[in-house]
Amino acid sequence: MDRLGTLVMGFLSVVVVNNFVFTKFLGICPYLGVSGRLDTALGMGLAVTFVTTISGIMTWSLDAYLLTPLGLQVTRYICYIIVIAAAVQLVEMYVRRFFPALYELFGIFLPLISTNCVILGLCLWLDVWETDNLLEAAVLSFGTGLGFALAICIMAGIRQQLLLADVPRSLRGAPITLITAGLLALAFMGFGGMIR
Amino acid sequence: MICATFIGDLQAALPAGLLLLGVGGTLAVALLFAHQTLRVEQDPRVEAIYQVLPHLDCGACGYAGCSSYAKAVLADPTLIGRCSPGGPAVAQRLAAILSVESAGSSHPIRAVVHCNAHTMDKTYYGNYEGIASCIAGNTLTSAQACRFGCLGMGDCVRACRFDAIHMVDGLATVDYQRCTGCGACAKVCPRGIIEMVTFQQSMMMVVACNSKEDGRTTRAMCKAGCIGCGLCAKQSDIFVVSDNLSKIDYSHYRHDEGTDQAMAKCPTKVIIWRGC
Repeated sequence: MDRLGTLVMGFLSVVVVNNFVFTKFLGICPYLGVSGRLDTALGMGLAVTFVTTISGIMTWSLDAYLLTPLGLQVTRYICYIIVIAAAVQLVEMYVRRFFPALYELFGIFLPLISTNCVILGLCLWLDVWETDNLLEAAVLSFGTGLGFALAICIMAGIRQQLLLADVPRSLRGAPITLITAGLLALAFMGFGGMIR
Repeated sequence: MICATFIGDLQAALPAGLLLLGVGGTLAVALLFAHQTLRVEQDPRVEAIYQVLPHLDCGACGYAGCSSYAKAVLADPTLIGRCSPGGPAVAQRLAAILSVESAGSSHPIRAVVHCNAHTMDKTYYGNYEGIASCIAGNTLTSAQACRFGCLGMGDCVRACRFDAIHMVDGLATVDYQRCTGCGACAKVCPRGIIEMVTFQQSMMMVVACNSKEDGRTTRAMCKAGCIGCGLCAKQSDIFVVSDNLSKIDYSHYRHDEGTDQAMAKCPTKVIIWRGC
């Protein structure tokens, strides 16, 4: 029961309170770049969720079963990058072969997000958080992806409404997007410190 | 001395190097294997379209990249011309790939406007001074007496990405030198006047009217309308008259003496040639 509680709290923590986009400012490039339309934003969010879950599990296992026993934690960065890139490629091929509908939904985002900083950030953060079992790592990874999806979908929704708004001329385009992102992050700061 | 430290450092780094070599090598083999076993056959037209596109992945078309745009444009040819870096050159090449494919033969598909009423032929109940858009004008009966004919406010002109349709004296007129048959104009016309027709010949016979009013009303409102008299249907069976309007059944289209007779006998001269 206690363990379940930890899992739930950890999940809520990464989705809302310690959302990677709003509190750590990781993954800002797709967050601003692909949030123009709600359907593409959702595709991006789902693809990131998918990849964070898989790469979180893989890198945590690599770290726990290979790097730490060998005392080679210094190579984490490079190993993680290689593993993430390869995992994304593998997953892309697999999904394309066996789940064409899913592949259509993810589209080009799947290969693009192999360099998304949320993913490498999460893999490194799993060590910082001292995650000590695979299940916890998996839940946290999934939650992180979901948090990113939440952030990008909220942003896309706001930007779709903004299209209809009478924005001052000097603020049109990128400036109003950045202001929106800032206000959104401020709003999420309200959750700060509630968990962990 | 320096040499010895260097060698010592190298030896210390050896496990890390070996590990990375191992991890990288394993993944490389796995990827190679996956590439061989999980290969997917793709529609060759997607590849052909993708080759024509500029490969910038700029997103100006509203899609995530050139490859997703290639798929979208294959499914819906009205998206031709969204590629702004490629410009008209790419659009024309896409149209070349798509119109041949979509017609299923070497006959191109072209837009046909089912109205032949210029400003002087039409009757107006009042002066329309609202938004200059057919969608807005279509909601008001005062914009024009005929409820079926071309409003002449140019929604189709703005929809066309090939500069192939123009307003000539209040009537949408297709420039068949430029029309690629993408169908964007047909989609945007609120009255559905524009039909996409497979041009079996370079000139096609067209009933240039869309009015379903009875003959008397049509004649009172427009000098160039079809009154549904049925003379054409008596001459050739490609003409079908229903709802006081003659239509050509393009699935049985042919050009022979009967159709020439029908054209000659039409009292309001609404059967005309379109094309170039």
